[in-house]
Amino acid sequence: MRTTARVTVPIVLVVSISLFLQGHNLPGGGFIGGVLTAAAFVLIYVAHDLDYLESGVLGREVEAGTSVFEHRTVTAYRRTLLAGLVIVLGSGFAGLLVGDPFLTQGYVHLEGVPIYHEVELASALAFDLGVYLVVVGSLLTIVSVVSAE
Amino acid sequence: MAPDLTIVTTAVALPFVAAALSPLLYRVLGERTGYAGAAVAAASFGLLATGIGSYGTVGVPWIPALDVGAQFTVDGWGLLFALLASGIGVLVFVYSAAYMHGEAGLARYYAALLAFMGSILGVALASDLVFVFLFWELTSLCSFVLIGHHTDDDESRYSARMAMVVTVGGGLCLLAGVLMLAAAARGALGGATFDLTAMIANDEAMRAALRESGLFVPALGLIVVAAAAKSAQVPLHFWLPNAMVAPTPVSAFLHSATMVKVGVYFLGRVRPLLMSPEWVSLVATLGLLTMTVGALLAVAATDTKELLAYSTASHLGLMVAGFGFDIVYGGEAGAFHLLNHALFKAPLFLVAGIVVHEAGTRKLDDLGGLWRELPVTAAVTAVAALSMAGIPPFNGFYSKELLFEAAYEVAHEAGGIAWLYPVVATLASVLTVVYSIKFLALFFGERRAPVADVHRPPIAMVAPPAVLAVAAVVVSLAPQLAVDGIVQGAVEATATGEARLEVGLPTHLSPPVAMSAVAVIGGFAAYPLRERLAAGINRGVDAPIPVRPSGWYDRIVSTAAPTSARFGSAVHDGLLRTYVGWVAAAGSLFALAGFAAAGASLGAGGVGGVRVPLAVAVVLGVATLAGVAVATASSHVSGVLTLSILGFMLAIFFILASAPDLALTQLVVETLVLLVFLLVLQRLPSFYSDVRPLAIARDAAVSILVGATAFVSVLLTIPRPDAEPTSVATYYTEQAIPGGGGSNVVNVILVDFRAFDTLGELLVVTIAAIAILVLVTMRTRGETVTEGDEEAVLDGGESP
Repeated sequence: MRTTARVTVPIVLVVSISLFLQGHNLPGGGFIGGVLTAAAFVLIYVAHDLDYLESGVLGREVEAGTSVFEHRTVTAYRRTLLAGLVIVLGSGFAGLLVGDPFLTQGYVHLEGVPIYHEVELASALAFDLGVYLVVVGSLLTIVSVVSAE
Repeated sequence: MAPDLTIVTTAVALPFVAAALSPLLYRVLGERTGYAGAAVAAASFGLLATGIGSYGTVGVPWIPALDVGAQFTVDGWGLLFALLASGIGVLVFVYSAAYMHGEAGLARYYAALLAFMGSILGVALASDLVFVFLFWELTSLCSFVLIGHHTDDDESRYSARMAMVVTVGGGLCLLAGVLMLAAAARGALGGATFDLTAMIANDEAMRAALRESGLFVPALGLIVVAAAAKSAQVPLHFWLPNAMVAPTPVSAFLHSATMVKVGVYFLGRVRPLLMSPEWVSLVATLGLLTMTVGALLAVAATDTKELLAYSTASHLGLMVAGFGFDIVYGGEAGAFHLLNHALFKAPLFLVAGIVVHEAGTRKLDDLGGLWRELPVTAAVTAVAALSMAGIPPFNGFYSKELLFEAAYEVAHEAGGIAWLYPVVATLASVLTVVYSIKFLALFFGERRAPVADVHRPPIAMVAPPAVLAVAAVVVSLAPQLAVDGIVQGAVEATATGEARLEVGLPTHLSPPVAMSAVAVIGGFAAYPLRERLAAGINRGVDAPIPVRPSGWYDRIVSTAAPTSARFGSAVHDGLLRTYVGWVAAAGSLFALAGFAAAGASLGAGGVGGVRVPLAVAVVLGVATLAGVAVATASSHVSGVLTLSILGFMLAIFFILASAPDLALTQLVVETLVLLVFLLVLQRLPSFYSDVRPLAIARDAAVSILVGATAFVSVLLTIPRPDAEPTSVATYYTEQAIPGGGGSNVVNVILVDFRAFDTLGELLVVTIAAIAILVLVTMRTRGETVTEGDEEAVLDGGESP
């Protein structure tokens, strides 16, 4: 199980990010990417435990005995959730600043970028990023808190 | 000349602003906040006083579709009430500063008192019925807070709750009555409106419309019940004596001078609109009954504030009775007595406060001969009590004489049983004289019990009742002055026809004068018999519950609590599967009922024409098999795995049906759910082993019902296969690239066209996360929670 996780988790993470980025033109998007990322993290939990991210990946000391709510990882998830909400609302209100209605989206084409030659930048990507973060944050908060029970 | 909207709204809004600021004020000023409150009340009073003479209606629209607006009518009646409230407000705030010395919770006290004053001004001046209702209920809320000022005292909490239940319950009746009036206005005035002024201007048409729709008697009944609850009329009078646990300034302000008069005020307001034979028999009888019962109970009272409370109910009955009579004198009696009662009852309450503050007791039997220590207070009491008794030439006499005239005239015209009106009014007045003397005996005559040492009250406590007593003397000596100043305007606003109020001492003997003489002489004659009278009344009061309204109240309240507790545990058995079963079954039934009601036909022709490719058939077949396997799985592990098979088959079906986004979503959600199940597997209860045929049959029935609903819904909602895409679909497809800059239509819809929906879903996900955090936190604290965790994960995961 751990060996499988070691191999699959990075792949899943990369796939989820690519799904998120290509979402505007190909199948994918913030929600799907977010759920897939969450699935990757849940896989780590099933294989290891809640402390693994801290001790195994980041090499930090884990304080034993703290409740799940003060756990640093869980706090980070909650912050992710908050950041996502802020981005969603912020991208919505940004349109108001230039006189468009709430949540209006726009896009620009950038040309001459190395490698890609042409890149389309849509403001919807910011909104989608918010969606992604909210989904990741909330699902992982829920899962980690529930699994700690 | 129309009144100035800015001035009126400022006068009403100022107390509310001050109430919001009062915690801050209290931090800066401490106990001197009372003087700040007095300044606010004085400012409102001054603003309103500029409006005397310039009557009219001003306002701004709020909900034009329903013709609801922040609309104020300034006329004599509203202004009289508003000036009384703010004027007595000034004195009560000054008095509070001294009386509430050293009490806790003063910031809350002043905030509630200020908010209350603003609400009263609102009730008095608002002419839009929605606003009247709003302010009406606000006064009840503030009264609740003020009665329950001593939050750690059981009696205080009980009384506050009782006042709240009765007056807010009355307020709900008012709401129903107001809605009926608005419904009638739709027919009578050619459009829905809540504008009371317009209704009164077209009172004939309104009455006709109400009668035509059969709503006249219900509307009248509801409004009278509302007013009776607020103004402590029999049989809803029982909350008022209990409300006397409030600090005395509150009793003086709310429960004698202003809040309890809101009902009377509103009756006066709608009197021209609803005047009819039904009105006379209902309102006049109610008023005279209350007048008598209140006076009887006041004679039997043993406590200063209790006596004043029952006497207040009695005098409110007098005003209600006045408004009940369909002749000019009646309206004059009601309007003039509103002023006179405020001028003599508020000082009496303030005096009662001084007595309890300085002598330390409220027992009538222990008090007597206090004039030696409290000479000024004794003088004030003498003026106010004689006015309350209706002894000429004090001001209470004039308005009571008007009521006698009204009662006599009505009886004279109608004859027969209507002669009971003047008889009952005289009887109640005899009793009024008795209890007035009883209160006066606090200060005169022998000392009853050794009261340790009576202090001189501070000037801030003596001045307010003295000011009111001086005002009462002025009205007594020159009643026509008050009439010309404002009462005439009030009489005109409440009268059904022309009215010209003339008051003065009687010059010749007439039947009403004889009634007054009987009342005064009878009162003095009956005073020595008061002990025997009180004993008789107490025997009546101690009668079994059916004749005691407060007994009914207690019984209803005491049965409601255990009943709701039993009901709660019966409905919530704490088993998630029970809830899911009910919710699913009820939802399905409602959906099917909706289809049936809309007359949808199942013969949607499109179904037959669908060709099912082999691959789809195989996938769906496997999914069906997996579904059966889930239901018959012998263990959790196999159940979860077969459920996943079902999910993945659906994902493949989505791919085959060329919906890659859906398929991806289904895949990742399915993966996540599988992982979550792995986490919680060992925690699941093992009720698989416990098989009960009945439960299985019930679950199967619910499942089939839900499945059938889904099937029918799909059949009814899918478009025909050969149908053109709808205009919305076409729009999305065409506009995805130019409008949203993306070729994935689904995603462009999610993040651009329907971004607001997505935002809502994100909020759902967030709330689910927060809810689970709270649930788990509470569980570790040892509080009860339901098993909602896994379910919420699914909710959060499948929302798009």
